[in-house]
Amino acid sequence: MWYEYLIAAAAVIIVAIPIILHFVNKKKGKSSCGCDCGCCSSCDKCKCTDDLEK
Amino acid sequence: MIKFALAGNPNSGKTTLFNTLTGSTAHVGNWPGVTVDKREGTYKKLSEKVQIVDLPGIYSLSPYTPEEVVTRNFILDEKPECVINIVDATNLERNLYLTTQILEIDVPVIVALNMIDAVKANGDKINIKELSNRLGVPIVEISALKKQGTDELMKVAYGVAKCGRNSTTVLQESIVGPIIDKVNEALPNDLESKLFHAIKLIEGDELEVAAHPEANKIAVELKAKIGDEFEGDYEAVIADRRYDYISKHFTPTVVRAKKQGMTKSDKIDKVMTHRVWAIPLFLVIMFAVFHFVFSEDLLFLNAIFGLEIKSEGAINFFTGMGYEGEALGGIPSLGVFLQSWVGFVFDYLGALLGRVLPDGTWYASLIIDGLIGGVGAVASFIPQILLLFLFISILEDSGYMARVAFIMDRAFRKIGLSGKAFIPMLMGFGCSVPAMMAARTLQNEQERDRTIRLSICFSCGAKAPIWAMLAGVAVLGGILGDLFVFGIYLLGIVIAIVSALIMKLFSKSNEIPPFIMELPAYHAPQFKNLMAHLWEKFKHYVYKAATIIAASTVVLWFLSNFSWAFWTGMVDIEESILADVGRGLQYIFYPLGWAIGEDGWKYSVATITGLIAKEDVVATCAVFGLTEGTIGLSVAGIFAFAAYNLFTLPCMAAVATAKGESTKKGFWITVAWWFASSYIISMVIYWMIALYEVAIWAGLLVTFVLVALIITAGMVVWLRIKKHSSDKE
Repeated sequence: MWYEYLIAAAAVIIVAIPIILHFVNKKKGKSSCGCDCGCCSSCDKCKCTDDLEK
Repeated sequence: MIKFALAGNPNSGKTTLFNTLTGSTAHVGNWPGVTVDKREGTYKKLSEKVQIVDLPGIYSLSPYTPEEVVTRNFILDEKPECVINIVDATNLERNLYLTTQILEIDVPVIVALNMIDAVKANGDKINIKELSNRLGVPIVEISALKKQGTDELMKVAYGVAKCGRNSTTVLQESIVGPIIDKVNEALPNDLESKLFHAIKLIEGDELEVAAHPEANKIAVELKAKIGDEFEGDYEAVIADRRYDYISKHFTPTVVRAKKQGMTKSDKIDKVMTHRVWAIPLFLVIMFAVFHFVFSEDLLFLNAIFGLEIKSEGAINFFTGMGYEGEALGGIPSLGVFLQSWVGFVFDYLGALLGRVLPDGTWYASLIIDGLIGGVGAVASFIPQILLLFLFISILEDSGYMARVAFIMDRAFRKIGLSGKAFIPMLMGFGCSVPAMMAARTLQNEQERDRTIRLSICFSCGAKAPIWAMLAGVAVLGGILGDLFVFGIYLLGIVIAIVSALIMKLFSKSNEIPPFIMELPAYHAPQFKNLMAHLWEKFKHYVYKAATIIAASTVVLWFLSNFSWAFWTGMVDIEESILADVGRGLQYIFYPLGWAIGEDGWKYSVATITGLIAKEDVVATCAVFGLTEGTIGLSVAGIFAFAAYNLFTLPCMAAVATAKGESTKKGFWITVAWWFASSYIISMVIYWMIALYEVAIWAGLLVTFVLVALIITAGMVVWLRIKKHSSDKE
């Protein structure tokens, strides 16, 4: 049936989305770790600590 | 657009001020250095827009850490129109050390005296006018937390930015005073902020020495002519003179109301960092957290009194319409309660679609069993994950987590482990990626590699759905679910310590990295910050579920419902592509116990899909029809499966981070370590628990031998370190 093709296409798109987003984010210079606490220099929520050995 | 920079010590309130001025909702943690990189926002209340840059918290402008270099380079190279130096008014002397350095740069400066409300609450007074005269720059009192004085600060800063400023130094009358001018003259005339560069050259700053070799020669010659008690360590000389100046000229502007006794934080720390009780208290607190999130018998009604809930209505309420004719053993925790209802929603959605979509069709199976089953399984644990993060955030924001690193350091320093390495590891409770990045604070490369290697021992948020799923398996019973989760986290900490010990045993170095840490004052976490953090976490999970998890479940559904000749249509799961692959993988995991049995290949495949995202382990199990009610593993199998997933390779993002942060050799050792340690630990756990089930005495004997080996390793390391310390003396 026609809707089966639609559902199959949607499934392919669902699989492709993370791959596309990975390359789009990489081009934008965004963190690719997919984690909201990634310290990949572009993430606002990094919680890395200072070196206090002074 | 003009640019202002916010600079100051960690915990001085820069990010709070930044949020107030720009309206951003950056997370404000209680550990030093929440921001590594600069963040930017816009202040719009003046006649022109002002770009505000939040620089990392630093104690000085010396180039020892990336944060210090970032701040220094920004101020020198990007030349903001004004530097707003946030100073913690309750800790003036330490904060002004950085101020004296910033004043040596040719940049307009204004001091924002933050936490002034706390000073007034203590009854202390600061003579602002006098302090401002002595510093030579304007000072504005603010309370960033209470949003007091911030607009006034920006008005004054705007005026200061229009005026310009020449650098000044507090060192002119010190021992290095005479040579500052001469080194200054030796620097190129077109160089800006010559005073700053001259003083840094006298300190022997690496960056300055490399940038100005000719001027450095003159500095070295001049320094050789001066005798001092620091034996040529001019960095120490200059630091000493700065503090001397601060205590003589700035500290007297503070008038204390009364003699400072123990603060509230000090009194709490007497208990929380007690020599004997600190670690047991930490374990109790962690157990309490897991109990509130994962327990099925929150009030111990069943465990202690044997009480059960028999009413169908009550059981349906507590279990998300999960009444199946049996009594409920106790009232579940909020986490379990919410999880059961979210699960009910997805189950209901699946059942609804099952009535609408034609039975037996591939698309009905894809949507119901694949997408809703897989994504729903992960999504149903979101309430528990958010609750867990809420409690961890409360512990962080209150200041307690900082104490944990201090406690760990004191406890394990004797066997060569430093609390400095524990700080990045403790961050692994959130996510392994920032934990690995935080290892940058360790200067020793080997120490850095080891810390990265062990960061996965501290279970990250993505693995929490795995524990939540296993905790609900019937064989573990009522109270054992939260004990199981507590046990997994505890196992991670124990293995981290034991692994560090083993690595120390084989390391040639007996040095223990020094550990200096500021313990921030205890304070009630800000509700707004907590909710903002939870909201970010929620968005992250929904994003991940809608993208990676959804994609994974579609692929897994296909591989588990079609054979290699996929054009022939759907087949039984046991004849699918995934079953063939899984059965091959199963042999690798046979010795670990949980891969034995007809469902063994499913667990093997699930653990492999965890490499994409750890939540995928749960999604994969759901696609295979393995849920809390249908997982047939024994207690030994559950613990062994959990242990394997805890210690094996983390998600690909974390592996990529480890590769970027480790040395080349260190990275490959780390990967080998992850594979080997997860395999061995899982195997030992399975067979030990199985042994206990067969003959308790045999299990006890093996446990005794293992503990004895660990203690022996600890004593060897302790003796080596003791010998090394006495040789040094």
